[in-house]
Amino acid sequence: MKARNVARIARWETTRSAGDVDRETAVAFAVVLLALAAIVPALVTMGPTPGEGIYRVGVADDSQYAGVVASDPQLAAVDPAAEADVVVTDTSIIYEDSQKGRAALSTLRSATVSYNDFLMRQEPDQAAAFPVVVSLTYLPQSISVTAQPADGGQQAGDGTGAGDGDAGTGSGGVQTGGDGATAGGEVPTTGGGLSGLLGQAQSGTPSSLSPPFPLQSLVFAFAFLLPLNVVIQAYGSSVLAERINRRGEPMLVAPVSRGDIVAGKTLPYFLGALALISVISVATGAGALSVLAIAPLAALFLAATFLGAMLARSYKELTFVTVTVSVALTAYAFVPAVFAEVHPIAAISPLTVVVDSITGDGVSAGQFVLSTAPPGLAAFVLFGLGTGVYREEDMFTQLPVPSKLLDALAAPLTARLRAGLWTALFLPFVLVAELFAVAVLFVAPVSLSLPLLLGTVAVIEEVAKSVHVLAGFERGKFDRSVRTALVVGAASGVGFFLAEKLLLVTQLVGLPELDVAQAAFSPAALGVSPGLLLVAPLALHVVTAATSALGAARSRLAYLGTLLVAVLVHVGYNLAVVVAFA
Amino acid sequence: MLALVIQLFIAGFSSFLVVGLVSLYDPGSTEGAIEVDVGVTGNASGEVATTVADEGLRVVPYQSQSAAGAAFQRGNVDALLHATTQPGGRILVEATAPEGSFRTTLVVSELKSALSALEREQRARFSQRLDRQPIDLPPEERSNPYFSFTYTVLLPLLAFLPAFISGSVMADSLAEEAERGTLELLRVAPLSLRDVVDGKAIALVGLAPAQVALWLALLSYNGTAVANPLSVLTLVTGVAAVLVAGGAALALRIGARREAQLLYSFVALGAFGAASLLPQSPQNLVARLAVDSATTLTWLTLAATLAAAAVAYAGLRWFAGGAEA
Repeated sequence: MKARNVARIARWETTRSAGDVDRETAVAFAVVLLALAAIVPALVTMGPTPGEGIYRVGVADDSQYAGVVASDPQLAAVDPAAEADVVVTDTSIIYEDSQKGRAALSTLRSATVSYNDFLMRQEPDQAAAFPVVVSLTYLPQSISVTAQPADGGQQAGDGTGAGDGDAGTGSGGVQTGGDGATAGGEVPTTGGGLSGLLGQAQSGTPSSLSPPFPLQSLVFAFAFLLPLNVVIQAYGSSVLAERINRRGEPMLVAPVSRGDIVAGKTLPYFLGALALISVISVATGAGALSVLAIAPLAALFLAATFLGAMLARSYKELTFVTVTVSVALTAYAFVPAVFAEVHPIAAISPLTVVVDSITGDGVSAGQFVLSTAPPGLAAFVLFGLGTGVYREEDMFTQLPVPSKLLDALAAPLTARLRAGLWTALFLPFVLVAELFAVAVLFVAPVSLSLPLLLGTVAVIEEVAKSVHVLAGFERGKFDRSVRTALVVGAASGVGFFLAEKLLLVTQLVGLPELDVAQAAFSPAALGVSPGLLLVAPLALHVVTAATSALGAARSRLAYLGTLLVAVLVHVGYNLAVVVAFA
Repeated sequence: MLALVIQLFIAGFSSFLVVGLVSLYDPGSTEGAIEVDVGVTGNASGEVATTVADEGLRVVPYQSQSAAGAAFQRGNVDALLHATTQPGGRILVEATAPEGSFRTTLVVSELKSALSALEREQRARFSQRLDRQPIDLPPEERSNPYFSFTYTVLLPLLAFLPAFISGSVMADSLAEEAERGTLELLRVAPLSLRDVVDGKAIALVGLAPAQVALWLALLSYNGTAVANPLSVLTLVTGVAAVLVAGGAALALRIGARREAQLLYSFVALGAFGAASLLPQSPQNLVARLAVDSATTLTWLTLAATLAAAAVAYAGLRWFAGGAEA
């Protein structure tokens, strides 16, 4: 790969994308963007409520509740005699005993609370109007008894709670606010709103408290990953466009390598994604570390889109592939980060690094590696697979996706031992898939999740060891003899075993402390002699890989049968290990 | 097939997402399941303790802040309240909650409602110092916290996403035909361009209400009743027709997929944004119809949407006919 070629192709990609647009379309774009820019302030000022007027409240115009109903957009005032969900009479409040009626009543109650606050703000005697002032701080709890006196602990708590200037003035504000409060003045409210949602200290009246949002990662998933969708849409379009009407042929003929072309085409989009992530980092207050943490995930988005664009037969198919990629990767990023309490599980997701860097908690090196290495390696492998089919036979043909996939898997298998190398390269995917399974099954009771997990792990690993072997046989890379099958199977098993040692990286984060994770990653790491520790898994992998390779050498149906046998053997092995050492 | 798998996958996570998104909407909705223990200290602790205990929290009084702090560190109590009376009658409460877990949200919500009850009680005590008395609160009833979210956010999302996708697929389909050059072949066939566009459009416009009908059936089966289902489906058909017409017109005019898709996305977003400024936006229409709070204006807006759809579709057919020449 030559840097000069890559740079030139990248430059072409950028200028061509911009230059391709004709004058009329450019004008249309400008007009639409201007219109959007005009709508946004209108939306912000008018702030339309989605549920406007869904609850009908029968209230007389002279009732004191008329003001309450007028103040909440979700409540609509109707004549007391007409059909309504809640009716306010002089003596009581009657509500319909249905889901809607009860929801309407709750809304009326919370609207009354807010309206009362509004009334109280107009009172001259503020000490009587707001007789309770709260200041809220967060402190960590620990199981061991601390030797420090609680007062010192509380001050330290205020210090750690002062993650940013807001909270600092919050604690300071309480002191001055306390004086103001005693003088019966306005109650200063600090730290509510967004920082409140993120769990920073707050102070003010009880109604102004905002409980922290428990799924912070969801917000960051939307903020960071949704814009990436725009980038991969444009990127996928551009890659697929090369394949239509043989437009990409001149590039293939030019004296540049395939790697140069792919790198050059991807570079502008990757840099664009990085720029986007940096802007969002700055906007949300995350540091440079979050950009580094999300970058491998962005690369994985691009890599998956690239492979999808190389396999898809039309733009429609590409759209579906792009959506699948987005949903799967967003779920991978979001689901583990939900378990913020269980740090080893949460460490799987790069978003946890982002959350930690915003709230000021430390990020350990092991955690950082665990969240960035698997996506980064997986991206590398996907680009490799896609580049393998970046050639004339595959680019301009309309084969169905599974067939193209086999092509892509078979392309790098120029020698029998290469099967082992590629099994090793698939390990990031195995890791990603297994981590995801751990995160999803973590919530189930152990009696259910453990067998399910053992089965899932066995299936994932056996497929990873054998699917490219099948591709090699199907595409004629290997001759269909028993001897070849055994050699290829053995190579695959050895490759898997060697790469599996990389899984030791999970030890850095303490993942094996959890039962579930232990079953997935190191069922044999339970105090056993080193010789057995090395030989047993090696034997397992070689035997199972050879079994499925034998089936692949015969036919697809035979492959499925032997794959099932291999999975059962693997599950049996896992069960034996878990039972023997549990 | 892939589309079905994607939708199943999303549906599998949807309960997760609903809880997550609702917590963003209203973090207090998670309360009620666990009892919260609160350690109370300070010279105003007596009044605070009785009120807080009435609200359903378990109160543990402590003699000193250090003892309470140690108990909090050990995990014996979930939260701390240090209440002091200020001259002038105000009670200053220093609250401490555990850091960084799901329980934090629960604890803070319960503290918030307990302290609000205390505020109401204190206001009643100082009633002679107030010009206007606070209004009595309506009774508290156990209600479904997801009700508003389901009908005002989730349901409109489920209704309009298929319409948006239909328009996007239409733009894709025509743009690809133009790029590959197969549009020329179609025009040579005994069909006119108008018929070709009609054929594609009818399929896609029909697909949107079909998908929404399935979603509505699924929701009803799950206990979320939807009123006026036919009106909702009619509205979805109208919106889908407008979006499909827009997507098709853009694709026919621009002829390149990337630009057509990008422009379509922005135009559709802009259209939804502009429609939100109406007195009853499409989102609001769906909510009102589904919850059976429709007013005359609702039906009028529905009729206007259908009229707009008819105009848009007629415009598309005229445009396709014109592009023929």
